[in-house]
Amino acid sequence: MEKRRRIGGEGGNRGMEENTMAILDTSGFSSSKVSHHLDDDRLAFLEAVRTASLLPDNGSAPTRKMFEAIFHILKDVDSLDLIIESYQLLIELDKRFPRVYLSKEEQADPSSPSKVISQVIMVEEAWSPFNFGLDSYNEKGAATNHSRSSVDSSGFHALIQEISEVAKEMKSEAKETTFLKNMLLLQYLITVLEGDFLPRNCAYHENMNWTLLRESLLNMLLGSRKIMYKGLMKDCLSIMCNMSQSTAFSEETSYHENSSGELLHEINSAIALALPDVKKSMCTVLKKLFLMIMELDSSRRIADQQGLTTRADGVSRPAAFYCITWFLNLNKILLSNCLQIFDPKWKLEIIVQYFQKYIPKCSVQTRRSSGTINTENFDGVLKCLSNSNSTRSIIKKISPEVVQLLLAYAFQAYLTLSYHVSEGLSTTAEDVKSNSVVEVCKNVVSAFTCLRQQDPGTEILCFGKEALFTAAAILSTKS
Amino acid sequence: MVLFLYNCYSLHFPETVWKKLIGLDDLLEDYQKEQKRLNERKSKQQKIRKVSDAEDEVDDDTEARLSECVDKCQKEINQINGDEEMPFWGIQVFGEQEKLPQLEYPELKSSVLLQSFLKHEINSLVELNIEKGEDFLEGLLVDGWLLNLVYASSCVEKSIATWTFNLMLYSSKVRLMEAACEFWCAILSVKDKADSSSIKIDWLPRYSDLKGALQAYGFLLDSSSKFSSDIDMVPADSITAGPPQNIRSWIKCAAFCCQTRDANIILSTQEAEDLLVKIISLFLDRQLLGLSMILHEATFSVINFFSDEEWSDSCKKVAKSLAYRLPCNINCLRVVESIVGVDGRSKQLRSAVAFQFLVTCLDEKVCDAEEILRLLISKNVKDKNCDLFQMYIYLSLAENWLLFDTMLKDKAAIHELWGICLRNCSCGITITDLRSYASNVRSKASYLLQGSTSK
Repeated sequence: MEKRRRIGGEGGNRGMEENTMAILDTSGFSSSKVSHHLDDDRLAFLEAVRTASLLPDNGSAPTRKMFEAIFHILKDVDSLDLIIESYQLLIELDKRFPRVYLSKEEQADPSSPSKVISQVIMVEEAWSPFNFGLDSYNEKGAATNHSRSSVDSSGFHALIQEISEVAKEMKSEAKETTFLKNMLLLQYLITVLEGDFLPRNCAYHENMNWTLLRESLLNMLLGSRKIMYKGLMKDCLSIMCNMSQSTAFSEETSYHENSSGELLHEINSAIALALPDVKKSMCTVLKKLFLMIMELDSSRRIADQQGLTTRADGVSRPAAFYCITWFLNLNKILLSNCLQIFDPKWKLEIIVQYFQKYIPKCSVQTRRSSGTINTENFDGVLKCLSNSNSTRSIIKKISPEVVQLLLAYAFQAYLTLSYHVSEGLSTTAEDVKSNSVVEVCKNVVSAFTCLRQQDPGTEILCFGKEALFTAAAILSTKS
Repeated sequence: MVLFLYNCYSLHFPETVWKKLIGLDDLLEDYQKEQKRLNERKSKQQKIRKVSDAEDEVDDDTEARLSECVDKCQKEINQINGDEEMPFWGIQVFGEQEKLPQLEYPELKSSVLLQSFLKHEINSLVELNIEKGEDFLEGLLVDGWLLNLVYASSCVEKSIATWTFNLMLYSSKVRLMEAACEFWCAILSVKDKADSSSIKIDWLPRYSDLKGALQAYGFLLDSSSKFSSDIDMVPADSITAGPPQNIRSWIKCAAFCCQTRDANIILSTQEAEDLLVKIISLFLDRQLLGLSMILHEATFSVINFFSDEEWSDSCKKVAKSLAYRLPCNINCLRVVESIVGVDGRSKQLRSAVAFQFLVTCLDEKVCDAEEILRLLISKNVKDKNCDLFQMYIYLSLAENWLLFDTMLKDKAAIHELWGICLRNCSCGITITDLRSYASNVRSKASYLLQGSTSK
């Protein structure tokens, strides 16, 4: 099923390695006084790797030692120049020289020539920033040189915690280079996890070879005893919440900074300009991590059902999705902030699940009186909320404000999904296909009307008003 | 001991015992003497130690003086041994920014979107009045509803388009600016969808809108003027003026404008060349260092705006314009290196830019490849007056030029000349050469030589 292949002869690369590493070695004798020499040499080294490996059409991958040196630069330096340069180089190198990839080979089996089998190809001697100790797939390298820069599962979690701490406080230190560096470092690590996981998972769905996923970096990372799984999920979520919130705060601060000009001197304005974007991509990357974990969960479930897992796989983790809803239930105040960060599909799913918890009794009632209402989808939830009896019982348990928010978020997620359905991107959203947009808009309006009737004292929130405006505007264009 | 003797006296011991006891007394005496002697010796030793401590201090002194001397030597060696650090790249690309125009948008009030809602019965719940219309629309924009509305209605009316476009470029509220940028990037990318999901935008920006915004941010390197030397190089850590946060949106939006199918309505070929020059010169501002990822994307996107027929011409024009406008020092290396060179077109551009800078730096009327290389060979690196830093720049530029020039790739004569030039530099400069940048040139040349012979 899997094939291991070497990239080029080691001999050819060694010359390049020596020649390029020599650029760094010259820094050996320089003391701290001449650290600019060190930085100059490091920049020259990065540029030389780029020129040798990325620019030529047939460039060969840097050797392990060179990769390690680049990664070490990213972890070690304080100069923004080097951080950005090494991060970009690593990302581009990973794109150009993937560690794991799929190759579609036709006619692999002469008896069934038409079948296309995708094979996972692992580059045996490829370097990886992770080192989980019991690493089977780069045993050789790990055994010989335990690199001081490689990251294990507890290091991974510690990095996330560090970012989470700074993101929570969002004080002046948040503008520091280290914060930026840590975020880029984490982004790179997650990109590596992704590059390793996606092809394996893809092949797994074709050939049901669980070993592929068992050996994936992601599975090894999460399965490590050194890691508190729930804690990790919680820290990731809190980073995402704090970062999506922080745009609101930074609005005020950065405005003042610009007007006073005094603060600008103190903070490095390059970092101030770069941070908002890095934060945004940080959130995107964390979302990807969650998606991957959820994919892994579902693949694991299939493997469990088919008896592919063994005792060596350990107890299965709590599914990521339940961790998220568990976390949200713990932090009701954060609910609306957190919902902003999820993809529409999840958002809708989480909200429908949330409502379901509080509707069950009323749904029985409605079922008796007016046929069956399935509360497992958004449409059912909307119908429930349009019914004065069930709305009354719901707002006893959840405050009307929260109901408004959830309703509006779900509606927005629904609209986004329905657009993507018409675009042909999303195939899974059952919810969305079942009902026409016009119908849903009408139901949203009546749900809000009902909510107002039941509790005339409540103000309609801004976000709710916007949802109503949107519903009305869509109704007037579509009808 | 005393107690013991007392006990002994009080008992009646035979003679022999007494003798032994006396012997014990002698022993005691002996012991006490010995003790005294030991004590004396100890104090003597202490004295000796004190003396030797003093000697040690003298040693420390010499040691300190010695290490000071070594440090001094080291410093001196460093100073002669090309300790001149590579100067930092970076020029001041942005000066004082103008006060960004805070525009008013009376036409928003008459937009179809607002007007049609005001008549709607649901307004009894929302209680929207026209005076608050703009604030309400801002909410719709920030919370993402505006995009949902555009998707649902498949069109963007003019008043909404201009309003969001100006918010993106000029609003000092970061949240509004970011939301508007996302809005524009989204509508520009779905505009051309072939199926029913495509949308119609009633107003498209012009290049002059983008250009005007950049001027308002305080962009100094205007196309008409040559880089003037009175613009100081920015020292790495002192920053006085800079672009507003909106520069991020500007870069992103410019990139999306070049990708749409109607890109040539937004900008002409000449304007795209100008845009490319501007985006590449942004790489020279150290304040934008953290934005290099989106700058790379933007460069890529503008490069792919050109049709195949236009490209080779435009590529040359852009390279010439960059070489003309930007300084021929360490900065030109940064310019060359910021063109990533991973795809065919950007390789071509990288090569062309390096070539143009080389020609400009050499400041001679040559543009033939062989002639340029001969000129480089004629530079005598052994000559005391040879500017080795300049030589370092020549080598780096020539490397980039030759590496990616598809025309020169297979010309043996060029390779031969380049080899001679590199050998001149790596052998002509000895390892003990103490001039500034001698080691830089030497190691650069020998690194390149290694690379070219191993192929």
